[in-house]
Order: sequence, then structure tokens, then C-alpha cells
Amino acid sequence: MNRRKLLKQAAFGIGTGALAPWLFSKAMAQQAGQTNVPASLFQEIGKRGGTLTLPLGSTPQSWNYFAVIDNFAYTVLNNVFDRLMQLDPVTFELVGVLAESWTISRDARTTTVKLRSGVKWSDGTPFTADDVIFTFTEVASNTNLRANQAATLTVGGVPLRFEKVDDLTFRVVSNKPYGAVLQALTFSPIMPRHKLAQFKPREDPSGYSRVWATNTDPREIVGTGPFILQSYVPDQKVTLVRNPNSWRRDPQGNPLPYFDRLEYLIIRDPNIQVAQFLAGNLDQVPVSGAQFPDLKRQEVASGKIRVLRGSTIYTSPPHWGFNFDVPNPELRELFRNLTFRRAMQFAVNRKRIIEDVYNGLASLPGHGVAPGTFWYYDTRSYLGEWSLERAAGLLDSLGLRRGADGQRRLPSGRVLEFSFTYASDSLPFSAIAAILQNDLRQIGVKLNLQGIQQGTLLATATSGNFESILMAYGDQPDPQLRKDIWQPGGQLNYWHRSVWPERGSSEPKFDQMFPWEKNIWEIFRQAEQLGDQNERKRLYDRWQLLSAQNLPVIMIVKPDAVAAGHARLGNFYARDNRIIYTNFSMFEK
Amino acid sequence: MTTFILRRILVAVPTLLLISVLVFGVIQLQPGGFLENMLEDPRVSRETVENIRRQYLLDQPVWAQYLHWLGGIVRGDFGFSFLNSRPVSELIWERMGWTVFLAALTILATWVIAIPLGIYTALNRYGPTSTALNFVGYFGLATPDFLVALLLIYLVLISGGTTVGGLFSPQYIDAPWSWAKFQDMLGHLWIPLIVIGLDGTATIMRQMRANLLDVLNQDYIRTARAKGLAERVVLWKHAVRNAINPLISLAGLQLPTLISSTIIASIVLSLPTIGPFLYDSLLNKDQYVVMALLMLSAVLLMVGNLLADILLAWVDPRIRYE
Repeated sequence: MNRRKLLKQAAFGIGTGALAPWLFSKAMAQQAGQTNVPASLFQEIGKRGGTLTLPLGSTPQSWNYFAVIDNFAYTVLNNVFDRLMQLDPVTFELVGVLAESWTISRDARTTTVKLRSGVKWSDGTPFTADDVIFTFTEVASNTNLRANQAATLTVGGVPLRFEKVDDLTFRVVSNKPYGAVLQALTFSPIMPRHKLAQFKPREDPSGYSRVWATNTDPREIVGTGPFILQSYVPDQKVTLVRNPNSWRRDPQGNPLPYFDRLEYLIIRDPNIQVAQFLAGNLDQVPVSGAQFPDLKRQEVASGKIRVLRGSTIYTSPPHWGFNFDVPNPELRELFRNLTFRRAMQFAVNRKRIIEDVYNGLASLPGHGVAPGTFWYYDTRSYLGEWSLERAAGLLDSLGLRRGADGQRRLPSGRVLEFSFTYASDSLPFSAIAAILQNDLRQIGVKLNLQGIQQGTLLATATSGNFESILMAYGDQPDPQLRKDIWQPGGQLNYWHRSVWPERGSSEPKFDQMFPWEKNIWEIFRQAEQLGDQNERKRLYDRWQLLSAQNLPVIMIVKPDAVAAGHARLGNFYARDNRIIYTNFSMFEK
Repeated sequence: MTTFILRRILVAVPTLLLISVLVFGVIQLQPGGFLENMLEDPRVSRETVENIRRQYLLDQPVWAQYLHWLGGIVRGDFGFSFLNSRPVSELIWERMGWTVFLAALTILATWVIAIPLGIYTALNRYGPTSTALNFVGYFGLATPDFLVALLLIYLVLISGGTTVGGLFSPQYIDAPWSWAKFQDMLGHLWIPLIVIGLDGTATIMRQMRANLLDVLNQDYIRTARAKGLAERVVLWKHAVRNAINPLISLAGLQLPTLISSTIIASIVLSLPTIGPFLYDSLLNKDQYVVMALLMLSAVLLMVGNLLADILLAWVDPRIRYE
């Protein structure tokens, strides 16, 4: 079940990956003044006090981070616990959080991490390397816990070893070179050993999973993060207050967070979240491109809210995938035919999708890389203009003639029709599906829409239970982190499952691959082991070009990021086309 | 009467047993389960799932699981929520207070408003007020509650209000009870009351109206009037008391809707009731929670019916259970 195990990073927008070797001996840059968090978070120095109120889409299941898979619990707990390092919001480079600096040995097998000194847990106990060792060896790599991270903490079947050097230094040792080691360390928040080791996660995983349930005394749940839990009213509200021992400082050396309290109101319905936001009961609300014009009008009219837009790496560009292994032999042959996929690309009206579906808050997509970022190779000329005539011409050239009823016929005489699986509970996906169905009808292709729940989309795709599908994977700062998607044979390379490795083998079935797929596979293999950034970029450029030419999937558009916040929020702003804010750096103006 | 109640309780035991088998069977028959759902999450390995399956005794034969579950219920242990890693009874108990409060208040408001309106519309069949009330009644029946909720919230928003959803303003949710908190609750409560109660009010109003119209055409009403009784006595002592009987049986069926009827309204209005909890558990196939709530709903139905029968005997001297 290696495949399942490793699906993780990709689906959650994080990933394994050879860490670019320019990070050798990289010490955390201490920028602007005395701040120990990224200086770009601050537009101005904030003032202390007030309450930040945010929405939470459902009731958290537990406060035990590794015992539940629950994004709502994580949303709350990410204010309480810190990771070793995180990505800078502007540069997307790794910066230290609990880690202060790190070095990677020349053979890339040993990583030595120096921890920030003077950090205390919220109950006053000093934070040490023991907490890190406990978190990684007993909890994060414990396969008996539901939300374990064991897959990323294993190289070639051998778990990483964590060794304490001194109270503020530890080492990660692997048998084989593991370039992704720093990335792997960013996934797990560090847990307090002095509170949790007594529950023996290794010996009694089911008992451990029951501790820190939502009815636990909040004082037990100690963290190093900016906030700590104060109270929880089931189905209504989670209240956090400033961690008295918070180590974060702003550029003038003032302690962070600025807000005294952080409250999450549990509001399930997205419409009501927006209503509560407009009523002034919430400071921020997640918005989509579809809601943008409406909220922007409110911003202009009332001046009480601010709506920001920016480009981001992380939004998920939808793409149209065809199942190369669909049971129907005629469709299978068709889907594998590049001319057919090019015909389908001509039928994708990207301009209309950007204007009508995303209200202009999207742009032309890249092929696996977010446009405007370092790794991006401009493939826009390969996207082609929307042209139903050219699409029809290509279909004609394939011998798919129209019958008397206007429908095209397959060689066997059957009507050319196939299903299009999409998330019917997603507004943009439903709209895209309708536009495609309508345009294809005009050129005699029948698209049978099959709406499913967004939550089951990934499972449907990776199980191969579809003919064509509208999917979306988030982009990442480094193509290596998306290897599972784009390298043929990868866990998330769902459109060509017949090249997936046999169970227990790590080699994909090369004999089943198209020549261009073999090229892409080789590009990813080489780039993983290269140190020179420019050499890697040359390889990845070639991969993007191959994708644009051979259309493993048809990229639709790249959505922008949008965010809405109350006008009273300081340090909630857009800069360099990025939306910047954190709960600890925002303040009440 | 005591023997009747005792007999009913004794009959309830095998019925509940049968229901427990059905409930368990239905849960077993559904494709997939909580653990299978977990496999869809890419970070969960087959190994982890098998370990958890053993932890929760789900690797045992079905009959053993059933007996284990039933044995637990007898001891007052309704099993364990996979989703929340907590005992089911605790989780239900956490939400019981607000659920009962809201349901009781809605039922009370429904009856207090609907019965007089039913009587009024029956007596003034063709008056403009009755026509208007009937229109509201039809509107209430025909409009889904979530739509009413969104409509009301929209109206509050454009009139500059802030009480959109929930039972309290954010600052009062975890504050101790005070006069200000009570007032704040009253300010929020009317939306859920209308949303949850409108449908029931309309139903009962129309039922009451129809029953009363039936009764008013009966011979004994004519007789009563012929005897020269005051219209007030005719109406309240003879007509209404007879017309209300069928509604009492109806009331017995309302009890289990405590759990299920407010799912959508509670999700839309962010109310802390059992409804959304049941919804989450169903989606995630958190089987012990679902089974506990189904059993609870069955028990409530039986209790409701029993109460209705007792009430009926008390209201209507013609009914005897000996």
C-alpha cells in the first residue's frame, strides 16, 4: 500500500522532494529590525489588544493533532503549535520557525538542526530537542495513529533516525540521500513531550488517540504557538487567548500576537459565513472568485470591508483528464490519440471561463507550474485559441463523421459520447462542465455530465472509475514536490494507471508508456538528483513543453487568490501580487 | 391505567430489540464504512486502517459486534465515536440541552399560535383575515425551511441588523448567564423559531381548521345549539374538545423529530443541536453515533406515542384502556 501512503503530500499540497542544494548551510536570515518572523508580514507596526473573530466550517473533532484527520481541528491547532520551519509568504523560501538554522551534510544524509533558544511552552516548561525527537519518533511516524506522517519520514523503506545532539540541537539521519528532508520536517507541528509522553503513543495508540479530546481542560493543551486554547462551546465557538510565553516579536521587538483573543465561530453554511461577515460579526471570510464582484461592490459602497486579490502559487488550476485505460476499447484508443485531445483543447473556451466563471479572477494556466514563478516556462502559445471549427476539423480527420442526427459516430457506428465527472458542489466546476457540454454538443460530441461530491473527486480519479474528469491539483513552489502527479507512474498520475508500478515494485511499467511519457519520467528522475538550479530549470522547462505539446491532461485556467477582511484589520494586505496576513501579525486599527 | 402503561412498556422491549437488529443491519449493509472512508485520505495507509480496525473490534464477526454493542447499551455505553475519539453518549449529551430547549420552545410556540388560528379560520371561513392567514399557512408549507432562513437573514442584513444565525452574538456565546445575554438570545431566537416552527404551525393550523369544520357540522353541535347553550359553551366545550383529539395523536409523533427535523435549519442557522451532528456522522459513517441516534429516535417515538395515548385518555372521557 505504498501508493496510498505516499498519495498524501501531493493531495495536501505539500510534497516530498529533493531540497534545492542552495540551502546548504543556510542560516535563517534576520531581516528588518528585531523581528524573528518574516518581515514581509508587516505593513506597519501594530497595536496590541482586541479580538480577532474568524469562521470555522465545522466542529473540530479533537485537539489531538495526530489522532484525527480534520482540517477544522488543524485550523485551530495551527495557532497553538509551531512547526520547525515554514515557507516565507512572499519568496516561498523556507524560513525557520522553531528551528533557527540548519545544515545538510555533503552526502545529503545528515541534517543538523539548531533550535531557537529561549522558547517556552505555554505552561513555562522550556522547549528542547526532546520535544522534537518525541514528536517525530513516537507520534508523527507512528503508523497506528490516524494522521501519522510516516510516509514522508521514510526513505527506501527505512525510517529517518532522529538523534539528539544537545538540548537545542538534533540530527536527522537517513540511509540514502534524501533531498526532501527539510520539506518532511515542515509537515509536523511539534508536540509537548512533558504532557503527552505519559500516554505512551507507541505502546497504547488507541489510548493515546483518546486523550486531548474536545472536552479536555484547555489548560492541559500547551503549545509554543502565538495563541492557546481557552474554551470550547460545542458547535458554537472556540476561544483562544494570547500565549503568555509567545516567542514571536515584531520588527520593533514588541511581542506578538497583537490580538488578545482569537475566536472561531462555528458556521457551517458558506452563505451564512458571508452574511455574518457583512453583519460585522466576523473579521475575515473565505471567498471565491464568484463572490468577488459582489463583495467588491460592498467594499466600495460601505468602506467597511476590504477585498484583496493576488496571484498565488497554491490555488488549484482545474484540468480535464481523459482515462487512458477506460474499459471501452474505442474510447480508450480515442483518449490515447493526441489529435483527439487537441480537438478537445480547441473546444475549451478559456476566455469565457475566465470571464464568466471566475469573474476575471483567473488567468491562462501553466503546465504543472504556476505562471510567473521561477520554474514557469511560458507554454501559452500551445494553449491555442478557442475554435469549434478547428476542433470539428480535427475530429473529422479522425474519421468521426456526423450521423443524420448530428451526433458523431465512432468507427463501430456507436454514438461518440462519454461521461464527464466533476464536483457538482463546486460552483466553478459545475459552470465549466456546463460550458464544455454546450460547446461540444455543437460539434456533435455528447458529454454526459456526472456530478459527484468534491470530497470524493480524488478517490474517484485515482481509482480510475471515470471516462473523463474535471480535476484540480494545487501547484507548489518546486516541481519536485508535484512529482507524484506529473511523473508517469506517480501515485496521483491517475489518467494513465496502466503504467503504475506493480505492487511492491517501485519501477513503473515503461513498456506501457508513450515515448513522451518516458521522457518526462526521465526528466523527473534526473532533476531530483541535480544540484545546479539552472540545470534543473532546463529540465523542467522541457517537461512543461512536453506537457503542453502532448496534453497528458488539458489545463483549463489558473484561479487567482482572493481574500476578504474587515477594514479594521491591519497587516492584512496585498504586496507583490501576494495576499499577506497571519493571525499573529494582524491587528485592530 | 397503570396496567396499561406497564403493558406498553413491556411490549416496547421486544420492539426495541427488533429495531436494534434493523438499525445494526442497515448500518452493516451500507457500502463502505468509516474505515473504508479513511482509506480515501491519501495519508492513511492500509496498515493504519487494519490497526484501527482491531482497536475498535471491527475485525470480529458481525454477530459478535452486535452482541458487544447491545451489551454496551444495556450497561449504558452507546459505543465510541470514531470521528471524535470520544464516547457517543458524552457527545449526544453535550448537544442535548439546546436541542430539547429549541424543540420544546418551537413545539410550544407552534401549538400556542396554530390552535387559536385554526379555530379562528374555521369560524371565519371567508373573511379577509382568514384568507391572509391561509395564504401564510400555504406559504409556510410550501417553502423549504432553509430558504425561509436565508430569506430572513437577507432581510435582517439589508435592514442593518447583525443577528444573522446562531443563538448568541459572538461575545455572549461563552459568557456566563446574565440579563444582557438573555436579551441577546431573545434577539436571535426569533429566526430559528420562525424557520423551524413555520411548517408545523401551518400544518397544525390547517388540521385544526379542518377538524373543527367537521365537528361544527355534527348533529350534537346542532343539538347543543338547539338546547339554547351559549355559543361560547358550544364552541369550547363541545366543538374544540372533540376537534383537538386527532391532533393529540399527531403530537406523539412529533417527539422523534427532535433529532431529525432540524438538520438543515440548524446547519444553515448555525444552531448547536443534534441535527448537524447526526448529519456529520452519517456522512462520515461514524456508525455508533448513527446507531445511537436512530435508537434514541425509536425510543422517543414510543415514548411520544405512549404520552399521546395517556393524554388522549385524560382529555377524552370516552377513551378507556381497561
